[in-house]
Amino acid sequence: MNYLLQQIINALGYGGVIALLAAGYTMTFGIINLVNFAYGEVFMLGAFAAYFCINIWNLPFWLVFLIGIAASIVVGFVIERTTFKPVRGADMVTLFITGLGASIVVRNLAVMIFDDRLKSFSLPDFLKGLHSLGDILLFNKTIAIVLVTLVIGLVLIYLVKKTKIGIAMRSISYNAQMSKCLGMNSEKVIIITFIISSSLAGIAAYLQGILFGSIQASMGFTAVVYAFIASVMGGVGNIVGAMVMGYFLAIGGNLFIAFLPPDLVGLKSLFVWGVFFLILIFRPSGLFRANIK
Amino acid sequence: MPSLPLLEMNNVVAGYGKIDIVNNISIRVNEGEIVTLLGANGMGKTTTIKTILSQTNIRKGEIKYKGKIITRFPTYKIAMLGISYCPERREIFANLTTKENLQAGAYLLKTHKEFKENLDRVYALFPVLKKRQNQISESLSGGEQEMLAIARSLMSNPNLLLLDEPSLGLAPKLVELIAITLREINDSGVSILLIEQNAKLALELSNYGYLMRKGKIAIEGPCKELKNNEGIKDVYLGIATHQKED
Repeated sequence: MNYLLQQIINALGYGGVIALLAAGYTMTFGIINLVNFAYGEVFMLGAFAAYFCINIWNLPFWLVFLIGIAASIVVGFVIERTTFKPVRGADMVTLFITGLGASIVVRNLAVMIFDDRLKSFSLPDFLKGLHSLGDILLFNKTIAIVLVTLVIGLVLIYLVKKTKIGIAMRSISYNAQMSKCLGMNSEKVIIITFIISSSLAGIAAYLQGILFGSIQASMGFTAVVYAFIASVMGGVGNIVGAMVMGYFLAIGGNLFIAFLPPDLVGLKSLFVWGVFFLILIFRPSGLFRANIK
Repeated sequence: MPSLPLLEMNNVVAGYGKIDIVNNISIRVNEGEIVTLLGANGMGKTTTIKTILSQTNIRKGEIKYKGKIITRFPTYKIAMLGISYCPERREIFANLTTKENLQAGAYLLKTHKEFKENLDRVYALFPVLKKRQNQISESLSGGEQEMLAIARSLMSNPNLLLLDEPSLGLAPKLVELIAITLREINDSGVSILLIEQNAKLALELSNYGYLMRKGKIAIEGPCKELKNNEGIKDVYLGIATHQKED
């Protein structure tokens, strides 16, 4: 029993990372029907910006955190303007291939420039250490990640449900043409959505760095696949659904390998893909609803 | 009544892609008036309204609002000038609740106080919307959705309401309610450009009417005259015989 509980607790940190990425992913998925694989690169470059701040300039953690977010926003914005703006309104497949292309170009450039070895990412002092409850271990960094995820989740729910910009995002995601007739500047709202989504990638990047203690140039790919699956499972555009599913994938993946013989640990991703195929077969429209909720 | 032109379309040619659907039309809506566009399906009425909103390809002509040229303005800027749109088939945001749809309609309002006032006003016009305010709008009946669409288009304090087929598919009792409401809206100072299949209703409500045929204005005149116009009776044969029985 404790073994199971420990496995779940171990997954909470990575669950938080995936939950944040899934929330950011599902927002742009919902508002302009964008299956954005380049989102993984927004995440990766945010992590590298943070890495340089730590290892070259030795900046304090909060500044590292903010610069990581800012870098992700800049990267997300540049990708949006150069890659997705020219194909706005195109069908989903075109958008998908455009995003995939941008992702491949950026990721491989990063691998060329930074190489793909693991780069160590240091943890701020106050997050070092752990608590033990009986024989269960709980790391301080895990607590921090869960808290950050929770707070951001609440902020996002408030933003989308209660604010003017949130109403506009949801209206545009359902019917952009009608929204314009109500005076909404849809381009502006789309850019704001990208900024929020990219900043979530920047936050997730920093959290992944402190969680694993390392980053690498190809890290975006796995992350974006998890985020994509969580957002489809949560119902496209459904932020709460995406976040819950992010945790579900991380915890489920850990429990799955917990029951496998140790030499089959490499099959962890089988869980994610297995769940994904089951969902696509039985509930192709996603577990909840479509459009931004 | 002094009639200042609020909206003018002068010799407008517009359509989708390379195909022109409205061909050289001129229309005028004066301040305080209800003006109706009549005509059978596919004659270019909806395209005319979408042209005002810059949602078509405008090839020739000009559109003026309060004397200022607004041809090919971005749609959201046209809305900002005080032109509001209630589309055919409602196009409410089915993923939002009733109240959230009204919040979307109030996007251009600056203060929460204004929003509250307008909310109370449309709830007074359509009390059923208040009852349904926290319901997902997808679950509303057809009539309630039409009321919601009209209410949404009023939330922004428009000067001009472009109203496309408000009675489409509604029960006679509801059509009557919508008609009364349109009168009230107009009395409160909102000018209306109305597309309506129900020509009898449209002619009774409106001050001035245009009959469209194949993308052109075939007949125009004050509604009192149009009611007796043989051309209108030709087009709406059913209504014409009905009127004779009256």
